[in-house]
Amino acid sequence: MRFRAGSRLAAGCLAALAALIAGGGASLLGTCGPFTDVAADAFCPLVLEVFYMGITTGTTPTTYDPTSNVSRLQMAAFLSRTVDGVVRRGSRRSALDQFWNAATQVTTVGTAPIGVKSDGLDVWVANNGSGTVSRVRASDGKLVDTWTGSLGGRAVVCAGGKVNVVAASTPNGTLYHIDPLQPPGAASVVATNLGDLSRAIAFDGSRLWTANNFSVSIVTPTAIPPWTVTTVTTGFGQMGGVVFDGSHIWATDGSAASLVQLGPSGAILQTVTVGALPQFPVFDGTNIWVPNFTGTSISIVRASTGAVLATLTGNGLSQPASGAFDGQRVLITSNNSSNVSLWKAADLTPLGFFDVGANSSRACSDGIDFWITQASAGTLVRF
Amino acid sequence: MGDRSRLERALGGASAVLAGAVSTLLGTCGPFMDVAADAFCPFVLEIFYLGITTGTTAATYDPTANVNRLQMAAFLSRTVDGALKRGGRRAALDQFWTAQSAGVLGITTGVGLGPALVAADGADIWVAAYTDGVVTRVRASDGKLLGTWIDADNAWGVLPAMGRIFVSASLLFGPGALYRIDPSQPPGSVAAVATNLGNAPQALTFDGARIWTANYVTPGSVSIVTPGASLPWTVTNVTSGFISPVGAIYDGANVWVTDKNQGRLFKLDAAGAVIKEVIVGTDPRYPAFDGGNIWVPNHVSNSVSVVRASSGAILVTLTGNGLNHPAAVAFDGQRILVTNGDTDTVSLFKAADLTAAGTFSTGAGSLPWGACSDGVNFWIAFQGTASLGRF
Repeated sequence: MRFRAGSRLAAGCLAALAALIAGGGASLLGTCGPFTDVAADAFCPLVLEVFYMGITTGTTPTTYDPTSNVSRLQMAAFLSRTVDGVVRRGSRRSALDQFWNAATQVTTVGTAPIGVKSDGLDVWVANNGSGTVSRVRASDGKLVDTWTGSLGGRAVVCAGGKVNVVAASTPNGTLYHIDPLQPPGAASVVATNLGDLSRAIAFDGSRLWTANNFSVSIVTPTAIPPWTVTTVTTGFGQMGGVVFDGSHIWATDGSAASLVQLGPSGAILQTVTVGALPQFPVFDGTNIWVPNFTGTSISIVRASTGAVLATLTGNGLSQPASGAFDGQRVLITSNNSSNVSLWKAADLTPLGFFDVGANSSRACSDGIDFWITQASAGTLVRF
Repeated sequence: MGDRSRLERALGGASAVLAGAVSTLLGTCGPFMDVAADAFCPFVLEIFYLGITTGTTAATYDPTANVNRLQMAAFLSRTVDGALKRGGRRAALDQFWTAQSAGVLGITTGVGLGPALVAADGADIWVAAYTDGVVTRVRASDGKLLGTWIDADNAWGVLPAMGRIFVSASLLFGPGALYRIDPSQPPGSVAAVATNLGNAPQALTFDGARIWTANYVTPGSVSIVTPGASLPWTVTNVTSGFISPVGAIYDGANVWVTDKNQGRLFKLDAAGAVIKEVIVGTDPRYPAFDGGNIWVPNHVSNSVSVVRASSGAILVTLTGNGLNHPAAVAFDGQRILVTNGDTDTVSLFKAADLTAAGTFSTGAGSLPWGACSDGVNFWIAFQGTASLGRF
């Protein structure tokens, strides 16, 4: 068999031969992978990467049209597939071969577990009813330790290797502090003068912020308790959740149906109208997902501008209360249904809703699984 | 035939009929009035929701226009930023903060006097303490001191590899040693796997088969240690071209070492021969590789040289942002941290575009030295307070 130099057949056969020699993939018919219109030069591996990753499908199964310009519409497809591919491949779930969406384990914790947060290894749960805090090992769901004395504990934040729990006590909220290095015992009380009924807590890198009834409290940790508390009331109604986006603290105002951006002293910088009774939001790196409890919807708010990009409905939402983000997906809990709703964070498309056995309260991610508290059942669910 | 028609065929005309719904959208595709509600609309919406595009106006996207290279640069850099920010473990843990002051650093004490370099094994942080000659293991989640290994005289560098922990013994006179720890065993004495390294090994790295050390004291050298079935392991010492190597990293293809007195970053071949010489600043110390570039802290120049690993070109020499006698660099997937021992601060940079992200105090007298990341936090050895800090 003879080849004429420059002929398509010759080039194709040579490419196939080269691939065989290199131990490469079979069924490569073109000059560059499946493509007959891309030269086997320095650009070919780059074209192949975007093909193998599913970023491009080519213009036909055998052509890539390498010299054409890219329209903005085509670019949108390329870039969105690029983000999806990178985020999916880079996640710990991919490395662990865990691509499923399902509730897979139930751990019994204390009475009425509500707040939940991962420290990267263990999951910390504030049991509102029993006034305890459970430490659950994420790898196997084992209840490792239980701290006591956190009466009314409602929300958790892990920061600096420590665990802080806020309690919705009245007329003043209470802040508890746990040093995981100490043997389990009573949580330390570090502040008793937060605003009324503190429901949520966030950390900004130096101070803790709690969302309360008609106020927001800013807590500065000190070497010796009590920690310094500044409570700001101006402009606040029945506050729900609080979240830090890397630059600003945001809090939901349940009575005003708004999400407010706060300055360093707690002054309202911006007010975003969301749905009815917004609860505990989550930040995905770009946008804030605000579950609207009686609005039965999710408001997607761009953190950099405060613009409402979209309002999501359906997908099993039922008294949505709390959101969690795992790098790819957003999970929303349902207060009066045993379903949780799942969304693809990048394009806001629904991924379906899933039965987790009981009504859910709040949720967090550890980067692999979501962890969902179920106050009525006294359980923590790995999803 | 364009990519669009190809895609439409592939999708079989599937459109955005969703189980849920998205409202408040005024255009035909999200906010955009000039994009059809067809198979391409979800892609346009995704890059809009991600902040990769803002549209040409609030209500238009101009879908048929071509993309010039300048616009493409903006789109691609936002794509990378968005993917990294979302994909990082910090995002999943809802930790978007940067520790603003020394008071909020999680501190673990008891890591021995003279903590030098540190490294993460994925769950725990390992600290080599020179003065006390101990190696400590600290759990990353809560900073708990899990164990202390002794008899690690002059411990300087630490390297998790092969399920073991390796430690360089930076003896000032005579040959250096390489210690090994089996983390599955209870703490005890370290075991030497080789005692004939070059003089005063400091940083060490692993290339997938062999351990490399940068040996500082005359005659400066690089040691290549080959694991074997029996002890001691085989050591090859290479001196040609070196005066005082201190830092060592592996970029996935080659080992690079910094040479303190020569002000050089050297790229080495498999035998340890210098195959590229990069002139960096004065007194380069412990660099880090970010997947594309090598960040070299120049201790006396108060600068960081950013060197492209594939070419050896210096992309830029960073100054300012609090850089003051920088000693060590660490990378967490998004950010670069540089320790400034003389001013008790660390400098942060965004790794993707080399922009400054601020200078942060680690506390008076802390003397930050070695640093690493576990993917969530940076960990810093504080020589001044003989402690390990979570940043």
